Amino acid sequence: MFQLHGWEALLFYFLAFMTLVMAVFVVTARLAIHSALFLVATLVEIALLFILLRAEFVAGVQILVYVGGVMVLFLFVIMLVQTRAEEESRVRLYNSQSVFAYIVAALLAASFYFAVYPAQSAFRPPEQSASAAAVEESEAVQGGPGLISKDTQNVGETLYRQAALPFEIASLLLLVAIVGAVMLARGGNQENGENGFE
Amino acid sequence: METLAFSVFRFLHLLLMQTPAESRLQRFEPSLVNFMMVSFLLFIIGVAGVLSRRNIIIIFMSIELILNAVNLNLIAFSRYLQSSQEIYKQSKSIVVSPLTGPVFTIFIIVVAAAEAAIGLGIVISLFRNRETVEIDEIDLLKW
Repeated sequence: MFQLHGWEALLFYFLAFMTLVMAVFVVTARLAIHSALFLVATLVEIALLFILLRAEFVAGVQILVYVGGVMVLFLFVIMLVQTRAEEESRVRLYNSQSVFAYIVAALLAASFYFAVYPAQSAFRPPEQSASAAAVEESEAVQGGPGLISKDTQNVGETLYRQAALPFEIASLLLLVAIVGAVMLARGGNQENGENGFE
Repeated sequence: METLAFSVFRFLHLLLMQTPAESRLQRFEPSLVNFMMVSFLLFIIGVAGVLSRRNIIIIFMSIELILNAVNLNLIAFSRYLQSSQEIYKQSKSIVVSPLTGPVFTIFIIVVAAAEAAIGLGIVISLFRNRETVEIDEIDLLKW
């Protein structure tokens, strides 16, 4: 049964607290640039939580693709569309339905809590049973903290064997997204030369 | 100052490096429920951000928070409830393959990247036409 011990437990609590703090700052920052940088911090901490859960490949993909690709794209677009309105306090930050939004979010939290609470015992680690002690850790999580598991090999094998079709569809999706984003951001008057890009 | 830090570190080390069976802190060790709680709080923060901000780029970033909460949930489930093949057949509790979480998460990251690209392209087109990124001011279709 997988369980975090010792220093990893302390690190989990620290990372969880910092993730939630950074997420709150993402949502409540005044400037969009600050919000983007706080989101970068949140994503990096979630990647650290992934490493804590012995999923190093996904942590690497998250940092390379999410932080290095998506967030850089966000930063470029923020710099393209900034109007300095928030900085000079000319604009409101929250729309007129924000109070109801918080009420709905609180209701959602309550509904999650009441949905998960009766089933909590199924998610706790079992007491020392014979089968759990016999196969203590599966082969994917050998070693203690500090050792890299075999997750990368297994995930790579799965992506090319069992999950090969979704893998190909994902690359097709990325191609469509690239073409679509270029079409959207280019403007319609490129051929006529009115857009100023040429 | 250094001796204080060193003694704090040594105390923590002795406290945390006990074997799991004899550890006094065993009830504080994170289990799946703790990871689920982190994931669901992150989700709630993302939902509150989507519904309450006016700047559309911050709304996009809150959507990314929601997707990351789901990723964390998937990988935590897949890691905590994993099993090897021998106990998979004879186990009565919930068991999943340890590869389900990471593989599904990679596809969620791919879809999130594609969606962010298209969404930000739309934002740029919107800004080019309307000179604003506040969603309250994009109301041509309202009654």
